[in-house]
Amino acid sequence: MPDPFAGGAAAPGADRDGDREGDPLPTAAAAKRVAPLIVIVIAVVVAGLFWILIGAKSGESDTADTPLMGKPAPVVKTTTLDGKAFDLQRRKGSWVVLNFFNSTCVPCIKEHPELVKFAGEQSALGLDGSEFYTVVSQGNDHGDVRAFFAKRGGSWPILLDDDASITVAFGVAKVPETWIIDPNGYVRWRAISIVTDDLLTRVLAQLKSDFNLALAR
Amino acid sequence: MTTTAETIVAGDGGNRLNKQVKGWPGWIALVAIALVALIIGATRSSGPLTDDDRLDGISQRLACPVCDGESVYESQSPAATGIRQQIKALIQQGAYSDDQIIQYIETKFDAKTQLVPKATGFDSLVWALPVFAGVCAVAGLAVAFRRWKMSPDTVPTEADQAIVDAALREQGDE
Amino acid sequence: MLAASMNGTVGHSILLVGLVCATFGALSTVYGIRTHDGRLLRSTQRYAIGVALAGVAAFAVMERAIVQRDFSLKYVQTVGSADTPFLFNVTAIWSALEGSILLWLVILVGYTVVIARRFRKRLDDPLVAWALVVMFVVCMFFFLLTLGPTDAFARGAEGITSGPGPNPLLQNHILVLFHPPILYLGYVGMTVPFAFAIAALITGRVGERWLTETRRFALFAWAFLTIGILLGGWWSYEVLGWSGVWGWDPVENASLLPWLTGTAYIHSVLVQERRGMLRVWNLTLLVSTFALTILGTFLTRSGVIKSVHAFSNGTIGPYLLGFFGLVMVVSLGLIAWRGDRLRSPGAIDSPLSREGAFLANNVLFTLFAFVVLLGTVFPLIVEALQNRTIKVGSPYFESLSIPFGITLLFLMAIAPVLPWRKASGELLRERLFWPAWGGVVAIVIPLIFGANGLAPLLAFGLGGFAGGSALRQLALATRRQGVRGLLGRANGGMIVHLGVIIVAIALVASTSYTHSSRLILETGQPAAYAGHTFELVEVQKFTTPRSTGVRAQILVDNAKTYAPAITTFTNFGDNIPTPSVRNGIVNDIYLTLESGAKAGSTTAAIKVFIKPLIVWLWIGGAMMVAGTALAGFPGKRRRRPTEPTSAPVRLDDLPQEEPVNA
Repeated sequence: MPDPFAGGAAAPGADRDGDREGDPLPTAAAAKRVAPLIVIVIAVVVAGLFWILIGAKSGESDTADTPLMGKPAPVVKTTTLDGKAFDLQRRKGSWVVLNFFNSTCVPCIKEHPELVKFAGEQSALGLDGSEFYTVVSQGNDHGDVRAFFAKRGGSWPILLDDDASITVAFGVAKVPETWIIDPNGYVRWRAISIVTDDLLTRVLAQLKSDFNLALAR
Repeated sequence: MTTTAETIVAGDGGNRLNKQVKGWPGWIALVAIALVALIIGATRSSGPLTDDDRLDGISQRLACPVCDGESVYESQSPAATGIRQQIKALIQQGAYSDDQIIQYIETKFDAKTQLVPKATGFDSLVWALPVFAGVCAVAGLAVAFRRWKMSPDTVPTEADQAIVDAALREQGDE
Repeated sequence: MLAASMNGTVGHSILLVGLVCATFGALSTVYGIRTHDGRLLRSTQRYAIGVALAGVAAFAVMERAIVQRDFSLKYVQTVGSADTPFLFNVTAIWSALEGSILLWLVILVGYTVVIARRFRKRLDDPLVAWALVVMFVVCMFFFLLTLGPTDAFARGAEGITSGPGPNPLLQNHILVLFHPPILYLGYVGMTVPFAFAIAALITGRVGERWLTETRRFALFAWAFLTIGILLGGWWSYEVLGWSGVWGWDPVENASLLPWLTGTAYIHSVLVQERRGMLRVWNLTLLVSTFALTILGTFLTRSGVIKSVHAFSNGTIGPYLLGFFGLVMVVSLGLIAWRGDRLRSPGAIDSPLSREGAFLANNVLFTLFAFVVLLGTVFPLIVEALQNRTIKVGSPYFESLSIPFGITLLFLMAIAPVLPWRKASGELLRERLFWPAWGGVVAIVIPLIFGANGLAPLLAFGLGGFAGGSALRQLALATRRQGVRGLLGRANGGMIVHLGVIIVAIALVASTSYTHSSRLILETGQPAAYAGHTFELVEVQKFTTPRSTGVRAQILVDNAKTYAPAITTFTNFGDNIPTPSVRNGIVNDIYLTLESGAKAGSTTAAIKVFIKPLIVWLWIGGAMMVAGTALAGFPGKRRRRPTEPTSAPVRLDDLPQEEPVNA
């Protein structure tokens, strides 16, 4: 794309372009032909820019979209707070809900009662329920996390991410974030910031029915 | 420095001295010293980079994958913090060059995370266009100066004279 | 006294009055010009005052609503909060899109009324009248925005009694009070010379007169844009915790673009005033500057480009894009139509002359503006044509700004000593000798202190050279005229140059020679880095009504404690690191606290940045501002504005130079 201002380079020349009749300059005629050309070039460039800008998508700034949507979830291979090994790929077969969390984050504290409620409902569903995990941010003191869960409840497995590989692989923008992964291990949903039990239940139901429909076909 | 120059200019005898000092020998000495200093500066090394200096350099070249327009270096988001930590770990292993680390991060996250556009394909336009515009500008200036040089001294036409008269009248009115 | 819940209705009505005033102002002025009705034209001032009152009142009502926490308004629900301290509650008005457009509006109406007052005796002059028409039309556009897509007075949901407050980053430094209004004073101020440029095109009076009339407005706007940009850098340095001042973020680029074309203009306008040349070019620069402010606002406020500074988008995009298109079509059309009158007689005799240097300066600044614009919109171009996303970030801009910076410094060294028309090699050798030695000294001194690298040393050398030239001009002027030798455009300009050189050197030094390290400190055990010692005193917890956080007291060099902190804002949950900086003439020590620090703990991880010469960025900035102010005073000799500039330059009229030692 030529420079909309590149006319500037030629503009000193263009200054002379409006020469009047009787001008002794031999180049006057040539100059007259140059001026409209420059204007046309500038106009075309600006129009091109305009066209691109009109077509440009204006993205939502607080997007819950992710490049991983509909794609296999990244590897989550880590240990739990209790020291057990964990590998997400071994969990295929049921829906997985991952909650990225940090014990010092205030919205996480606000969100926690909802998660306790949600996890309780899911485990009450038995095999039909989804699995729920918390992923603890790198740098969060393990003792703090234990104290947090002891004080506020919640007995689901807590996954550690001390080398930040899970956070990075998912591209977590800020905690809390909640992700839903389908039984085949594909990312289906992502929420930034606080979620409620009600919202998660509704979304999960919708995702399940879509998933089963797709299976039926 | 300036005042020294002008003091020398002031005296009559100083004038001759001044001319001698500012003649070719003075300038050659000046350019020589500047060149030597530049060469010394350009060739000497700054000493080994610390791991953190390398981390800063690498993370400035990577876009934070989840932020709006920030680099990994600037962002405070968990993902950027995580990437910084991974880069640091790779640096501490000591076996990789900066480019290798960047490549590793890029392939690992399957995202366009480099902040420096490539110099191949369509993306190379972002490098080529400034150069092209620069060449056009210099050429345009050259053409303009040629034309100015060719044109004889402008003789005011009657219309010019009218404009001048009008302007003078206007000035007189105020 | 208004009832709090009336704010919405009152605000809407005021804005509507403003829109009507602006519309009537524009229509009646155009009618007055067409019918040569002097009485009607002289009444324009009333509309300008009406528009100004409406703009100011709307802003005041919004400010009142925020301060009194009127949560019936949607905007207050987004940026207000029950526990924001007073100062940040006041600044909350420009912490999101709707309020920032109100700020734009209030400054725009301010400029409109200032023009109407300043030219009150000449309102029947078509040039002034058309300029006011342009101002009114721009006002109309912004009143429309505040009534439509960026309605700040819209009613919010019922029953909300508190909001989150402004973004945490916008509520922990006093600079948020100054940066946005000052930046906007510059940004919006570019409307004034644009209005006069359009008026000159319409009336066909494309001579030099309108230039002198808007020169001070242009300088004023340029100075505020400069301060605004520098304050933004300062804010970034003090608040963001990555120790940088400029990130080449799209929003930052959007403020840089008009600054670049504006800087080109305040140089090339001298050629037109002096020689009557470059008329089309100067008009193009003014139009570009204004158009770029609108385009920049579109790019960053419509959501097409993502940026940390961008506000979440509404429906403002199409409006701004449409307005940008209108500006371009009208301006290009007018320039094409008036092309015959824009011809300028005369020629630039030699590239080695004052006007030749100004031309080179202009080419460099516009090319630089082109590069910045290209880099900013290139991701959009790739997305439109190839449907994939790429990113263009600071490494691209930095590598391309090096050649521009070096060339501009070189030009700043040569240009001030060049005479108009033509210079001889001998003259240059004579005048540049001592400044060039200044350059040599500026290379050797950093070399002794261990500096390395070709580009930084070259920049130092050329900086010293340019500084020498500027000092030479100032010394000559003050010797001849005493203190008055610091006044006027040429001399004030030299002080601005000195400021720019200091800023450039500070930027080069602080980007090339910054070092950093992560230190893990334990209480009672000082750690050493880069010749300084750092000792952890304690890690404290602190709470305010809206945040909690930890702060590490760190004793630097056994002299004074600094306290980098991490603050968690209760309403947001983001952890915001706050750096602590020890300023110094040679080095700044910039400390940030790494996450994971716990109150009462005996260890803490910090990151230390050693940033050389960065204080000089602010000192240089202050010099630029002071120089601009001095340039605003009349210098030794005022040329009559209508002096026929196409006449040959008289010999005794040559610039303020000492006689050449031939």
